[in-house]
Amino acid sequence: MRNRIDDERQVPDLLASGDRATFERLYRQHNGAMIRVCTAIVGNRAAAEEVVQDGWIAILQNIGGFEGRASLAGWMFAIVLNKAKSRARRDGRSVSFDAGGEENSLAAAFDGRGRWKDMPELWDEVTPERILAGRRVLDHVTAAIEALPPAQRAVIVLRGQHGLDPAEVCAALGISEGNMRVLLHRARLAVRAALDDLL
Amino acid sequence: MLNCKDVAARASALIDGELSGWQAMQMRLHLAMCRGCSAFVGQIRQTRDLTEAALREGTAHPGDDARLAAILARLPDQRRGV
Ligand SMILES: [Zn+2]
Repeated sequence: MRNRIDDERQVPDLLASGDRATFERLYRQHNGAMIRVCTAIVGNRAAAEEVVQDGWIAILQNIGGFEGRASLAGWMFAIVLNKAKSRARRDGRSVSFDAGGEENSLAAAFDGRGRWKDMPELWDEVTPERILAGRRVLDHVTAAIEALPPAQRAVIVLRGQHGLDPAEVCAALGISEGNMRVLLHRARLAVRAALDDLL
Repeated sequence: MLNCKDVAARASALIDGELSGWQAMQMRLHLAMCRGCSAFVGQIRQTRDLTEAALREGTAHPGDDARLAAILARLPDQRRGV
């Protein structure tokens, strides 16, 4: 767990007292990730935006009951993801977070003794703003994240979100830590393969 | 001894600091001798950092301000701080 500075500890109280600047800051920090994760779970962006909007209202209505057992971000994402899961259930949609079986992008990368067939090379030239195939590296990364299967996408987005620790990611998604790690690694392998293909 | 396939499977756990001391040591031994795996672990680290940067950059969406206003409008009693 990260150390939370005094300012951070006052955030729930400020929110409960209706402090607009505090709300706006949290909204700008987390809304995008919430929409991405909920899009993975409910299956489309429009439904995800509704779910997240309801989630923010629920956060503001319930902030007085926040007890600080989880981080504030962990508590907020748990509320929003519960709403997304109910919405998905209502729509008859289910996302499997089962990490078993599925092949990854390295399935054919090794010989019978587990050695690289083709050695990976250093990516000295891969920087965020570098242009490859007409687009910035960061835009390729965004596209690769959006192309991931829903469970992997949900995990990689939450694990990239500042203020959420791995245990809170697992709790919010309702998955085990082992599953979360497998999904995260698979997601990174897919993004890595997308970048490697451009080089 | 870990082979390259084992190392690749544990690359995320290594960079996220999730391996035990002994597991991390076995990884470091292999990485010290294997250029391919060193490069691969570096790529996974870059992938993690680029992913975080891409997600941070994509935080704001068109229409955010309107949605923010709509949320605040539905909570008239919580707007004392305005
Ligand atoms: Zn190796």
